[in-house]
Amino acid sequence: MKTRFTTRDLVYIAVFGALWGVLEITVGSYLHLIFPPVTTPLVGVGTIMAAIGMVLALIGRLFVPRAGSVLMIGVVVAILKALSMGGVKLPAMIGIIIECLLAELSLFLSRKPGRGGFMLAGCLAVLWTFFHKFFASYVFLGRGIYDVYLEMLKKGAQALGLEMGYALVIIAAYLLVRIVAGGLAGWLAWDLGKAVQARLTGGERALE
Amino acid sequence: MRIFGAWGCLAFLVWAIVLGIVAPEIKIVFVLGFVIVFSAIFFPSGLKPIRRPEFWVLVASAVLFSPLLIGEKDFSLLGLSLSRQGFWVGLWMALRALSMALAVGGFAYAVSADEIARLFEAAGLKGLGFAVGVAFNLLPTLEEMARNAYQAMRLRGGFRRERLRALRMLFVAIVLNALRRGDEVVEAAEARAFRPDGPRQEPLPLGRADLVLVAVLTVLGAGLLAWP
Repeated sequence: MKTRFTTRDLVYIAVFGALWGVLEITVGSYLHLIFPPVTTPLVGVGTIMAAIGMVLALIGRLFVPRAGSVLMIGVVVAILKALSMGGVKLPAMIGIIIECLLAELSLFLSRKPGRGGFMLAGCLAVLWTFFHKFFASYVFLGRGIYDVYLEMLKKGAQALGLEMGYALVIIAAYLLVRIVAGGLAGWLAWDLGKAVQARLTGGERALE
Repeated sequence: MRIFGAWGCLAFLVWAIVLGIVAPEIKIVFVLGFVIVFSAIFFPSGLKPIRRPEFWVLVASAVLFSPLLIGEKDFSLLGLSLSRQGFWVGLWMALRALSMALAVGGFAYAVSADEIARLFEAAGLKGLGFAVGVAFNLLPTLEEMARNAYQAMRLRGGFRRERLRALRMLFVAIVLNALRRGDEVVEAAEARAFRPDGPRQEPLPLGRADLVLVAVLTVLGAGLLAWP
């Protein structure tokens, strides 16, 4: 594989991959162990970990401003995840890579790096956690998409205190939660990334 | 001195992960036993995590929470409705996790970033191999860095007031320290004339000890799975 990243780029990719990887290996694996995916409510462990991961991956993009850096960070995390504790990790690894691909796509579309682009990247990436449930259940567990949809509606209805008939409202709530979490992740990534950059160059006065 | 090369360490890691996933219930005890004995003899540094109480809290909580969350509740203890199935699922899950975590710890301590990079390079993934190797070696360092930054902030009363601001400062400090450590890695790599697009390095040697270990692990794994 020919690489177009410099040594510094690759090391920074490794640093952000390791930071996200540490969280996936410790917090993520632990949460998945005590809250297995089958018990996922309106906001699942996957959504929380995807939002946290996106904060780190997008800060990584500020330090490695080249197309493909977020995807590389995702691949590093997926490999580290393969070596972590817990049960079946292939769906989570694929999920991480797809989230990073979607973030790359939105960063490509927004062209110039900015808070808006980061928020869009975060939204798209975290939004995948909704569709990932269908994808992973169908591909890895052989469950029908309609069964997953019904189960999701049931859990959503319970969480929101609604009848299952309000399917559109429930699905909109699922999507909205993820869009807000992703947007917040992008916003935070821009804010924290700039703070780190300023601190590195000594420009920020004691992080006030 | 390390007896096994990177290939031998990789074989041990792959063996522990594969057996950790596929070994049925009671047999996982043997897998865990082998991982502990092997690590104690060949990679004692990899057993460092088991000396920490928080590691055991993590493992124990998986066993304790599972009867509450998984399976049909079929008995009660101290007023709590619990599931026998959940208890066993949690126990096996914790043992699987333990065996894999210890094998990963041993591998991370025994194999250098350069060796991991060369393992990936052998598979034709050069830049990625280097990044994964560096990331893998950074894991224990990052953990220590985060703990030190947290303790330093706590000692200065950082979390008594304005906790969100303190959390932000902690995050920035951790990322900053990680990047500074990264800069040291860049300098070390450049001092060794590493270039991502440079010529291929010498392939990792497959020693006699590695071959013996692969054979032993294969026989042991196959025997364990075939044993009724």
